[in-house]
Amino acid sequence: MRSGLNWTERLLYRLITAPSGVAEGLAQEKSLAPGGLTDIIAGDDRLSAEERVDIYANMYFYRLLDVMKEDFPATLALLGDASFHNLITGYLIDYPPEHFSIGYAGKHLADFIESHPLREEFPFLADLARMERALIDVFHAPDATSLDADSMREIALEDWPALELKRHPATELLDLQWNVATMLDSIERGDQPPPPRSGAVTMLIWRNRNRVLYRAIDEAEREELQTLAKGCTFAELCELIAASNVEGDAAAAINRRLETWLRDGILERVQA
Amino acid sequence: MKRENFPFLGFGVGLRRDHYLHILENQPQIDWFEILSENFMVPGGRPLEVLDAVRARYPVVMHGVSMSLGSTDPLHRDYLRELKELARRCNPAWISDHLCWTGVGGRNLHDLLPLPYTSEVVAHVAARIREAQDFLERPILLENVSSYMAFRDSTMTEWDFLTEIVERADCGILLDVNNIFVSAFNHRFDARTYIDAIPCGRVIQVHLAGHSDYGTHLLDTHDHPVRDEVWDLYAHAVRRFGATSALIEWDDNIPEFAVLMETADKARTIHQRVEAETTRDAIRSELD
Repeated sequence: MRSGLNWTERLLYRLITAPSGVAEGLAQEKSLAPGGLTDIIAGDDRLSAEERVDIYANMYFYRLLDVMKEDFPATLALLGDASFHNLITGYLIDYPPEHFSIGYAGKHLADFIESHPLREEFPFLADLARMERALIDVFHAPDATSLDADSMREIALEDWPALELKRHPATELLDLQWNVATMLDSIERGDQPPPPRSGAVTMLIWRNRNRVLYRAIDEAEREELQTLAKGCTFAELCELIAASNVEGDAAAAINRRLETWLRDGILERVQA
Repeated sequence: MKRENFPFLGFGVGLRRDHYLHILENQPQIDWFEILSENFMVPGGRPLEVLDAVRARYPVVMHGVSMSLGSTDPLHRDYLRELKELARRCNPAWISDHLCWTGVGGRNLHDLLPLPYTSEVVAHVAARIREAQDFLERPILLENVSSYMAFRDSTMTEWDFLTEIVERADCGILLDVNNIFVSAFNHRFDARTYIDAIPCGRVIQVHLAGHSDYGTHLLDTHDHPVRDEVWDLYAHAVRRFGATSALIEWDDNIPEFAVLMETADKARTIHQRVEAETTRDAIRSELD
């Protein structure tokens, strides 16, 4: 090769990922003589060298666009095809895929949207993309046996206080500035989404029997779930729940919380 | 690498998400499944649960798209580690990937790009295959890709390039018959010449798929039924390679599972017909 395989691969990478197409990419290649691509890639009467590289450039973009459409259906529905297409064009320039799995290609979309002009029209757009990405992450999060009511009952009552608990790995807490969950629900139903309410909200996202679910949680539950992420004993957890219910019925609050978490599979028992 | 160490699996199809439920509920009579390794290289959840259930009933092979054996980046150790872990979990009959590069400089194009066919590149790719095989502690199969561009600096044919690499790396071949057909049109070579030059003892698996005709070129889209000309080429391959596990790939516009079953059955029928013809010819020549 003119300058070896590495030189050729890097050149083709630049041309294939050039934002405005191979022709413009070629114009930027100062080290290549005009028409220099034909010294590297063979063209013929059917397709020129440039057109052949263009086939790869198109496949690169549209394959990734298809993945983004699948991963961010609500963002797509909100923006429409043309605007989404332009968003992804810009995104791939700033965040070209690095991971070996194409499933991670959209990992930084919410971060990219944070500084994108589209936020002026849709100030909640980054939160929407962040929420959609979190749903994917939880769907593929590690497996673990969740603690349910039956297994809890099998544990002797006197062992409950020292029981080591933690949050199930297929759970995620997401702090948002907009409650975009209502938008997700509407878009999933095919309805016109209402504009989301502004204001800080924390979403709990979890997986139960391979379904990914979510709900808004209050500050007290957020703190409890954060403590659980680090791991704690059942007694410590009860103290924490009771502390935020000093004026109410602490025992009832603990019962309610436990019932919900055991039903949803939020807890995991730490085995010694 | 010894061909006898690779079982003949029969006629299988690619395991795709659209069919998970159908397969788990109906347990269709299909010989085997090929998984796209990367789809199952996730920490947990539904894909791995499905894989475990499918593996409990069917033979499975792992087919990857990210080893990037032709890249000038170092082999991706994290990828190989996760691949090995997945293999430990599902105990595949074999692992395959492509004769291509998929990225450079730490960036990924998520596409299978061709290489210049030179002796330097042969040495480069063969060394990387050996490194990957050592890490995975098993021989891999190398698949020929379809291509839309060719390099001026190439000094050999694609079939010589593939042959030299697999001989040097001592690995098997996953021969994609549709890819040969597509590339033969795109680069104006004879597809049968390609197949006739491939060393028989190294072909462990065959891929069959549909492609799209854009007039100026054919594109390997995996979104159509297998074309008649590709079936003819498959019959030619069976004549040369004998009993070889065959797999139907369908990745876009995915039809009902029954259509995939029919396509796998068609491969079986062609295989049986060619084997019968070969036996008949052998008897005739003995009588003559």
